[in-house]
Amino acid sequence: MLLDFNKLGVWKWVLTGICTLMALFLMLPILFIVALSFGSSRWLIFPPPGWTLKWYAELFADPRWVGAALTSAKIGVIVMVLSVVLGLMASLALVRGKFPGRAVLRAFFLTPMVLPVVIVAVALYAAFLRLGLNGTLPGFVIAHLIVALPFAIITISGALEAFDPAIEDAAILCGASPWEARLRVTLPGISHGMFSAAIFSFLISWDEVVLAIFMASPSLQTLPVKVWTTLRQDLTPVIAAASTLLVALTVLLMIAASLIRKGKSE
Amino acid sequence: MTTPFLHIHGIRKTYGPVVAADHVELAISEGEFMTFLGPSGSGKSTTLYIMAGFQDPTAGDIKLRGSSILSTPSHKRNIGMVFQRYTLFPHLSVGENVAFPLRVRRMGQSEIAGKVKRALALVRLEGFENRMPAKMSGGQQQRVALARALVYDPPVLLMDEPLSALDKKLREEIQFEIRRIHQETGVTILYVTHDQEEALRLSDRIAIFNNGKIEQVGTGPELYANPTTHFVADFIGDSTFLAGQLSGVSGARAGVRFADGTEVAEVPLHGRGSSGQPAELMLRPERIDLAIEAGVPGSSLPVTVEDMTFLGNNTTVAARTSWGGALSVRLNFGHPLSGRIARGDKLHVRWSPDAAHAFVRG
Repeated sequence: MLLDFNKLGVWKWVLTGICTLMALFLMLPILFIVALSFGSSRWLIFPPPGWTLKWYAELFADPRWVGAALTSAKIGVIVMVLSVVLGLMASLALVRGKFPGRAVLRAFFLTPMVLPVVIVAVALYAAFLRLGLNGTLPGFVIAHLIVALPFAIITISGALEAFDPAIEDAAILCGASPWEARLRVTLPGISHGMFSAAIFSFLISWDEVVLAIFMASPSLQTLPVKVWTTLRQDLTPVIAAASTLLVALTVLLMIAASLIRKGKSE
Repeated sequence: MTTPFLHIHGIRKTYGPVVAADHVELAISEGEFMTFLGPSGSGKSTTLYIMAGFQDPTAGDIKLRGSSILSTPSHKRNIGMVFQRYTLFPHLSVGENVAFPLRVRRMGQSEIAGKVKRALALVRLEGFENRMPAKMSGGQQQRVALARALVYDPPVLLMDEPLSALDKKLREEIQFEIRRIHQETGVTILYVTHDQEEALRLSDRIAIFNNGKIEQVGTGPELYANPTTHFVADFIGDSTFLAGQLSGVSGARAGVRFADGTEVAEVPLHGRGSSGQPAELMLRPERIDLAIEAGVPGSSLPVTVEDMTFLGNNTTVAARTSWGGALSVRLNFGHPLSGRIARGDKLHVRWSPDAAHAFVRG
């Protein structure tokens, strides 16, 4: 190709330099935190004077940290399941359905993505006060579902749009009832979209802190909330260890998501 | 009259003011290869989709062995279909794709295995059971689709331009395969295409569609030698039309008089008309001859040569009549005149009486 990267001459090096700087800018704080979590200094000195796992030991020995992590995981899994199920139903309606106002409905479903999270949080807090949902598991799940669902709808709709309806017609002509065709042909055909939706929904809930701060109670808080509240009390390397674990799970799931996408494109 | 195997009876389909199919009437016998040929929007696909159950007709009925199929939902019609687009199930192997219709029919495992093997052998894809559709060429995918549509022995197989996504060479190869499979299985096939060569190569009979209506039904040679409408004459084979007026109509034959008074006589006439009515004379380039002397009066026209194109097995000569009408003549390689004609030569085209056709215009 005439516009190939290799034909850029000296610009090639300039661009490579800019990209490296960008990557460092994005990655350094995270690498910094990871290094500190293994550092032996209680005062978060960088570079660490020595290496230790004792902050991790302290983290896992503290039932409050473990409890917060379990809460996060529980909420994340419930949000993931609900988000995929509701996202699939909404996508079927938006992509395969034929009714007026489809475009408006789609835009409406996606508004939580563009609305400032803090506004959603305040609104939910006010609404949940009346319903008594603040500080409860259902409250957390609903709050996170609101921000996760648009991503699920986007990925599942995308997969469904790319799936030729003629394939469903073929299944029905082959003798499958309409429901059988959806279950045995459409769903497996868009499974990569549903896996991506599941991973992203879980991650959105797992990483989310603003809504969680509003929803949290002393007895029920997620890992990011625990990091946040601990940070306000004292600066311990245990926070770095918890953050590292948070990031590690996120990175693992992101890799899984990109593998799914790669497997699909092959 | 005996009940036809498949009877498409007065099918009409309208979308608001648009008439997609208008009183389509066709009787198809068992084992026949029937092709719907026509330009896009002519109603051929609409008729096929109504047959498959994707659309309901506004009026009319389709009867298979004497009983209507229209109230049966698509998945219970037991009809096979191969689509224009690739419709193999992407998450299933070739073997599982072909097994799918049998699995939804809750057939036993050993029976399924045997039938899948036979169906893949029929389309010459033995040993491809474990291949995934994405790893196959377009031609192979359509052959698997054919196996999947035939594995449950449907009484009727519908094919909706199945080869239009393939390149020409591959298309001819698979046309040959389809012909062989039709002969081996004896399945009744309804085939939709806009490619006249494909239709002529494959079909027992062809129904020519135009503007939602069937213009003519017949075998390839019938349609070529004896088109009953201007549209069919134009659509099947090459043809030249010369505009003039009817003169001396007698029964199914008429004369045609042209602008400068030149006349041809005793041409088979299609459509009702009387003397003086506008009409067109159709001549096929390969069914008329070019000669130095005029032929039988009434079956000959004086022309001036305008251009010659050598095309290997023939030379196509563009010529102009005395009143300025354009026509072309195809001279086979070895024709006494080929290679000896020059631009501006005054010659005569001539034909045997049944090689020309007159169509009433209007």
